[in-house]
Amino acid sequence: MTHIHDHHHPRPGSAVELRARALETLLAERGLVSTDAIDAVVELYEHDVGPQNGAKVVARAWVDERYRERLLSAANEAIAELGFGGAEGDNMVVVANTPAMHNMVVCTLCSCYPWPVLGLPPSWYKSPPDRARAVSEPGAVLREFGLELGEDVAIRVWDSSAEVRYLVLPMRPRETDGWSENELAAIVTRDCMIGTGVPVARETAIP
Amino acid sequence: MDGVHDMGGMHGFGPVVEPGCELAYHERWELRVFAIQMLVGLEGLGAGPGGRAVREEMEPAHYLAASHYERWLYSAEQRLLRKGTIRPGEVEGVIERLKVGEAVPMHHDAATERILADLRAVYPMDAPTGDVRFGRGDRVRVKRMHPAGHTRCPRYARGAAGVIEGVRGADRLPDRAVYGGNVTPEPVYSVAFRSQELWGPSEDTPWTVLLDLWDSYLEPA
Repeated sequence: MTHIHDHHHPRPGSAVELRARALETLLAERGLVSTDAIDAVVELYEHDVGPQNGAKVVARAWVDERYRERLLSAANEAIAELGFGGAEGDNMVVVANTPAMHNMVVCTLCSCYPWPVLGLPPSWYKSPPDRARAVSEPGAVLREFGLELGEDVAIRVWDSSAEVRYLVLPMRPRETDGWSENELAAIVTRDCMIGTGVPVARETAIP
Repeated sequence: MDGVHDMGGMHGFGPVVEPGCELAYHERWELRVFAIQMLVGLEGLGAGPGGRAVREEMEPAHYLAASHYERWLYSAEQRLLRKGTIRPGEVEGVIERLKVGEAVPMHHDAATERILADLRAVYPMDAPTGDVRFGRGDRVRVKRMHPAGHTRCPRYARGAAGVIEGVRGADRLPDRAVYGGNVTPEPVYSVAFRSQELWGPSEDTPWTVLLDLWDSYLEPA
């Protein structure tokens, strides 16, 4: 069977890379796209916008019950309180995991993803296998990620078909009593906020 | 458009978790393509139904073989061609120059701050919802249809019955809006579907799939 994945990327100096450089050249020569703007957009999504933002949102919701309520009822505003927002975060909805319910997010048609809180999506999220299987066999996908949910846990799969972008609010691990917000944010991984992982109270993070 | 991009439920693609799959990109040029595609949109340099709909028009075998950022490169180039910002053959001409060692030139202007501000702006679906046909708990069915153009109604949901969970807001129907028509916003609903309704029986505990669907996709069930 032939497996087709997003990360079967071309070799350095490939035809696609050359074509990308040619397009950039054409736009720069015409004065249509500034090199500085390309650099700034790359810099923004490489360093400033990423899952560290979402982790701060989750940690705040874990320590501040009223923030959690605002986050679940009006996510755009609650996320903006922490200074995050922008392209692909126009209509944020946060869905909370409970002992009886686990949420996971997919985009079967494309690669829609909440950039302001999670950055650019990982390759697997954009790949045909996830886009195909997350809706039709979510349990099997979660098991690939090492997540074995009990039979009493209902899975809800959010397929981002419109302009709503979803963030999963995972459950706070019980072992984290007394942890600071920063210490909590450190255990909130990107996958926890897509729903293909759950936070684990790591030894090294214990204060 | 019922193309290969509409992947929900397809078999044969293999595992999700593979070495390197956690990375958002693998090579520097991919991030530059990401930025160029964003700038083509923000600066109004392209034409046509938007990058996403253009990617859906890729020849199916090409779409599947291409990496994510290769698809974005394709849509940026196509949109530039459709607007006439670049002409057929020009990219190929530059490729020949780069092959003999020419460097990618730099261009500087003052657009950067404006562009970064654009990327930080938020545009919620807050248009008036107009006539809201369905409320929480209402049973609906996704229409049987076979749209040739862009749509946000995945194939796997067509004909299936679900339950309205709520109204997300109002938005212009993408099936028409991406082609530039004058389209009035309509309600977008969160609709929950039982896994048995979509996929039949499974050995796993039944699950729920939730879609955000425009009013036009739905009928009462």
